[in-house]
Amino acid sequence: MRETIKHILGSFGARLIIEAESGLNAITAMRMDKFDIVLCDYNLLRGKNGQQVLEEAKYLKLLPVHCIFIMVTCEQNQQMVLNAIDNKPDDYLIKPFNRQQLLNRIQRCYTRKQYLASIENEIDNGNLYQAIHNCKQLLQQNDKKMRLPLLKLHAELAIKIGDFTTAEVIYADILHERELPWAKLGLGVTAFSLGYYDQAVKAFQELIEQHPAMLDAYDWLVKTYELMGNDEYAVSSLNSAVTLSPLSILRQKKLALLAEKTENFPVAKKAYAATIKLGKNSIHRSSGDYSGLANIHLKSNAANEALKVLYELNQQFHDEPEAELRSALLETEIHQAKGNKALAQQAYGKAFKLNEQFSKQLSRELRLDMAKTFYLNGNSETCNDILNDLVKTNIDDNLFIKGIVTLCNTIIGGNYAETLLQQIKKELVDINNKGVRLFQEGNIRGALAVFEQAIIKTPDNHTIILNMAKIIIHDIKTSKPDPEKIMNAQFYINKAIQIGIPHSQISSLQTELDTIQYKTIP
Amino acid sequence: MLTIDFPAILASSVHDIKNSLTTLRALIGQLENTHQDPKPAAFKQLEFETNRMNNSLMQLLTLYRIDLSQFNLAIDEHSATEILEDVVAQQSTLLSLGNVQLITQCDDDLLCYCDNTLISNALCTLVNNSQRYCKSKILLSVSQEDDYIVFCIEDDGEGYPENCMLSDRKQLPRIDLTNGNTGLGLFFTETITQLHSKGENRGFITTDNHSQFGGARFKLYLP
Repeated sequence: MRETIKHILGSFGARLIIEAESGLNAITAMRMDKFDIVLCDYNLLRGKNGQQVLEEAKYLKLLPVHCIFIMVTCEQNQQMVLNAIDNKPDDYLIKPFNRQQLLNRIQRCYTRKQYLASIENEIDNGNLYQAIHNCKQLLQQNDKKMRLPLLKLHAELAIKIGDFTTAEVIYADILHERELPWAKLGLGVTAFSLGYYDQAVKAFQELIEQHPAMLDAYDWLVKTYELMGNDEYAVSSLNSAVTLSPLSILRQKKLALLAEKTENFPVAKKAYAATIKLGKNSIHRSSGDYSGLANIHLKSNAANEALKVLYELNQQFHDEPEAELRSALLETEIHQAKGNKALAQQAYGKAFKLNEQFSKQLSRELRLDMAKTFYLNGNSETCNDILNDLVKTNIDDNLFIKGIVTLCNTIIGGNYAETLLQQIKKELVDINNKGVRLFQEGNIRGALAVFEQAIIKTPDNHTIILNMAKIIIHDIKTSKPDPEKIMNAQFYINKAIQIGIPHSQISSLQTELDTIQYKTIP
Repeated sequence: MLTIDFPAILASSVHDIKNSLTTLRALIGQLENTHQDPKPAAFKQLEFETNRMNNSLMQLLTLYRIDLSQFNLAIDEHSATEILEDVVAQQSTLLSLGNVQLITQCDDDLLCYCDNTLISNALCTLVNNSQRYCKSKILLSVSQEDDYIVFCIEDDGEGYPENCMLSDRKQLPRIDLTNGNTGLGLFFTETITQLHSKGENRGFITTDNHSQFGGARFKLYLP
């Protein structure tokens, strides 16, 4: 089959055609060359499947913005079954196909990509406001065929910058013309984002009733239930989605975590096992899946099963601090469960050392686990240090902070969590006030230095990021125009969008910066 | 008890057969290149038969999924011209082998709301059949009739046999599969067309022998 396709592509004038007979080789080829077109069969002989290749290529940023990725599948339904949460190819092609069909598909993708290039390039650079501006300009050209795709893109971008009302209006207008599933989904998403959870649940449920295989609707329903604190419902909806798309690793992983949280051990066990199996060829594989499964075994009083998983974990991961640490933690718990005090102590010592060595490189979930283990082993000082840092760096992430508070209340008790939160909030306010005071005194450099320091310690703090952007913009306005400073201001605005600061607080900054830019660079 | 995961077996069988079909077609293509024009008539028959096998597989699987509520109709706005282009492309190999002329007619601005993969697959199946039963000409056209976008296939053959006629749109008679084995393509098309709806209106199909060239005429109405 590759031979035939190669022949066809050659006859279209393609100059460099590289064949790969496995997913791994495809990734290697994409590392060596930047391709304009990638044709990838979903069903690869061994190892990774096509979806896993796409996920990895996107994750490693191996595909240039203009690259066309076409997934070759066996049947239309496969597109759905393998549907990952966010990595979609540009198009699908069902085999067998002939020369003309392949040519048509490539041409259509190419035309579309060219048409949308001015938007996609800005998205790629993180300049979402500029992307929206370009989108509106294209809409004004009144191309009938492109009207809906552009409106869809505009609404999606509006959601990304947190301008939910604009998105709502666009979706409602489209639905007025025609009942399109994606527009209805979009309306549900805006309701969700505006905090109207009941309305969102209703929209997603209706969609699922009409389109029982619409996975996006399930994913959003799960998200909504989760934020409403209704974890049992979330598990049951996610379970339905997983039954429809058993090959999506991220859904399996999420199901495992949620089921574990609701203490639904049979579901969690099954989902962890599936995640581990799918993870063997996936960029989303993690040692956390193994320790998750082992923990479920421990909670079901099956220490020997947990030990087997631990063995597997050690076999699968090498030279990965996070995996080593998970392994040491797990070993501590298993030996504790089996009553081997000396071995448990030995494993704990190893975990302690690894934590000291790698603490900054570890995921926040693992660090929270560490804090718990330290506390339970009598090392409240290290536990305190970790919690302090975790709260500081995640202060604006409500769900995560909620998780920390729950953990503290269960294992430490008292008003520990309350005090910790108060103390850190005060610290942040003090730093912020110091910066603002310097700024008001006209000491711009001093203020910038204070905020730069603060960002190193608390990289995602909303107030500090916003103030940083404000001061840089003020600095540009009062001194000579400097392209580097403009770029710096845009960086912090993009960062603000990325960490979810609402549109209402960012848009005026973007307008100010745009005004400066148009004045200085005509 | 031994349990059999039928969906997985079906999917993996289809996968195997499709791969074999792809290889088969590539081999036929190579073989064909060793012959000078005019090529032996057997090639046309081979192309037709492999097309038909492929269409049957696709229909089998889609109907099976619909029956299990596992099918997601991906409805969006599509250009009617692009759907016709897809059909012509799919039929291009067979067309190149015979003397049949496939003419398309469509207003470039015409947009329709449908699952384009499904609709073009259904049309491909029917055009593939027309190629076999027509004398020399097939017209594939799209137009607007009231609230419907209508895809129409007309040929200059002998026309539909009695048991394939479906002209009374109000009664929506279901095609009877137990009467002979020729109706699967129409049955499939009818099923997936009916899944398209807008408010009270559903999609439907009609078949008659009022082709402007004197043969069979098929119409697919999308609301």
